[in-house]
Amino acid sequence: MTFKDQFKFVRQNLKKNKSRLFMTVLATAIGVAFLIVLASVGFGLHKSIISDMMQNQLVTQVEIYGKEDSQGLTNEDITYFEEMEGVEAVTRRNELAQMPFFHLDDYTSNTNAIVTHFPSEIKADFKLASGRLPEGENEVVVGYHFTESLIKNGANPEKLYDDEGNINEDYVYTDDLLNKEMDMEVIKLTDGKETKKTISVKIVGIAEKPARDWAYEEHVFISEEILQEVEQFTGVMRGATEMYEGGELDANQSEEVYDYVKVYANNVQEVEGINKTLEDKGYMIYSIANEMKQINVIFLIMKIGLIFIGTIALIIASIGIYNTMTMAVTERAPDIGIMKAIGAHPRTIKNIFLLESTYIGLLGAIFGTIVAYGVSFLVNLSVPFIIQTAFDEAAPEGLLLSYIPWSLTLISVGICLLVTVFSGLRPAKRATKVDVLKAMRREL
Amino acid sequence: MIEVNKIYHSFEIGKKEKKTVIPVLKDVSFQINKGEIVSIVGKSGSGKSTLLNIISGFIKPTEGEVKINNQTVTELSEGEFASFRLQHIGFIFQNFQLIPSMTAFQNVELPLTFKGMNEKERKQKTLETLERVGLAEFKDHYPSELSGGQQQRVSIARALVVNPPLILADEPTGSLDSDTEKSLLAFIKQLNEELGITFLIITHDEEVAEFGHRTIEIVDGHVLEEVAK
Ligand SMILES: Nc1ncnc2c1ncn2[C@@H]1O[C@H](COP(=O)(O)OP(=O)(O)OP(=O)(O)O)[C@@H](O)[C@H]1O
Ligand SMILES: [Mg+2]
Repeated sequence: MTFKDQFKFVRQNLKKNKSRLFMTVLATAIGVAFLIVLASVGFGLHKSIISDMMQNQLVTQVEIYGKEDSQGLTNEDITYFEEMEGVEAVTRRNELAQMPFFHLDDYTSNTNAIVTHFPSEIKADFKLASGRLPEGENEVVVGYHFTESLIKNGANPEKLYDDEGNINEDYVYTDDLLNKEMDMEVIKLTDGKETKKTISVKIVGIAEKPARDWAYEEHVFISEEILQEVEQFTGVMRGATEMYEGGELDANQSEEVYDYVKVYANNVQEVEGINKTLEDKGYMIYSIANEMKQINVIFLIMKIGLIFIGTIALIIASIGIYNTMTMAVTERAPDIGIMKAIGAHPRTIKNIFLLESTYIGLLGAIFGTIVAYGVSFLVNLSVPFIIQTAFDEAAPEGLLLSYIPWSLTLISVGICLLVTVFSGLRPAKRATKVDVLKAMRREL
Repeated sequence: MIEVNKIYHSFEIGKKEKKTVIPVLKDVSFQINKGEIVSIVGKSGSGKSTLLNIISGFIKPTEGEVKINNQTVTELSEGEFASFRLQHIGFIFQNFQLIPSMTAFQNVELPLTFKGMNEKERKQKTLETLERVGLAEFKDHYPSELSGGQQQRVSIARALVVNPPLILADEPTGSLDSDTEKSLLAFIKQLNEELGITFLIITHDEEVAEFGHRTIEIVDGHVLEEVAK
């Protein structure tokens, strides 16, 4: 008997008892939907957390805090990182040890200057909102919120902010920043006497908006050349002054150390190797890849657990299938007897009944999956609303409580088919055991 | 065509301790040649149906062997026997044994479906066979919508549809009136003459017995005599 004929035969048989078929499919569909929706919470939370983690950090990025038994990260370390296999770029940033004034037309900003090694930033793909990265000397990039630190000269400090803490609009710089010349004013203190120096810089780029809403970037990225100019003027490393809070830098320290060092791997596959080498060498690192590995393990366990619980629902549904199939075999025993008598192979009989239970399972899986996608959609739609009303607070951005990847659908449909085929095995086996003579005498 | 060699069969009744053994067939041997119509007669309870069921493979004999077309069928497994039946044996039953939820057409088509024949060929063959038994216009009737004689002709069509060289029949006329019986017998004769099909027919009926080429009588589980005509 060809598969096509078996399938037609099964469909004909199923039509004979539609309500029983419907109830069995319904139970299976509920089981599948339950399994998928339950597990989708694991997948959804995992996805939300991972995408939250990756929002402003690249997976290929490794932050290096320092090294055991060492003052800080020096050029020697940087060279070592750069020569490591799989490393794309090594960025290093330092804060200038004083807060310079930046004069732009009629406005002034007193903000941090970040010393940046631009060539490596270019390689690490420093993201700009507009403009370009510096190429010539005295070119700078400003943080996304730099304008907000630019205050009109002579502004009344008391009127600077309104009652709600918003800056007075009259004092805000509204013009375009790109290609504007600024004067960067640094100071030196010698025996309590203050000397000023201004360096003319040009804004060539504006950094991209930080990924997190609360992050605030109003600093200015200056080049190492500008730092050298400042250091020559102050005669102190990083241009430190007494004014600088917490800036007790060792003036005798002869070697440059870096505050913020990040290594960028060529690709995600390289990160693990780089992390391991760095850790073995005694570097203190933070890598989202490391973090993610642990989170992935935790979520994997959670997903397996949820799928396991969901499977129990399917097993319960499979009892229904077992019942339905047993009844079908009993009902059709006379027909089975006749079929065997005229030459149906027991294997054919078995296949027909297995196909029947598989078909029920498949229908259940299809409807269950559709329902699950619907429920998942509704859950994701309503959760932010529920959080809003219950806690009077917006739901976390990008929160996905329920997420159904293809893999979950495949796993669930697979489990469903496995369970239904399994529950159909015994009734199918029973069908092959129907006694021809008894069946034909209607003794069953 | 059929060789029955020293068949013994007994049924066991009851549970372990109270088990009683009922010997039904004792040392049954005979041969049936190709193209013969042979009737088996005997008193009720003499073991006729048991013998036919052994030849059909529905019962395994306690002892002895049966050969059909030189194949020792008593050695076959259940599945192998089923395939063998599909290829070589057609059945006509006393109470027709049609599947009630299937139309006449579907009932006749079923053996071809089991054979795995493609749909087009199958439909054509089924229709041809239904025409042969004169039931083409009733093809979409369910068994409950047919008379006894019509049902029996459907069951004959189902037996014929695979072109078997042998047809086994257990009291084929048992449920039919005498007119219908006559036309059935005539049809059997026609099939035998035109297609060379061998028939083995169990019967109570004198008329049926006389109509065959040869009669085998079973008395108390023994082949009493073979009456040649
Ligand atoms: N399944 C069985 N279990 C026990 N005994 C059986 C079974 N089938 C048949 N018998 C016994 O075997 C004997 C022969 O039965 P069988 O049906 O072969 O007779 P028969 O010749 O076909 O009779 P009839 O002409 O009435 O159909 C009977 O005594 C019957 O009681
Ligand atoms: Mg009988």
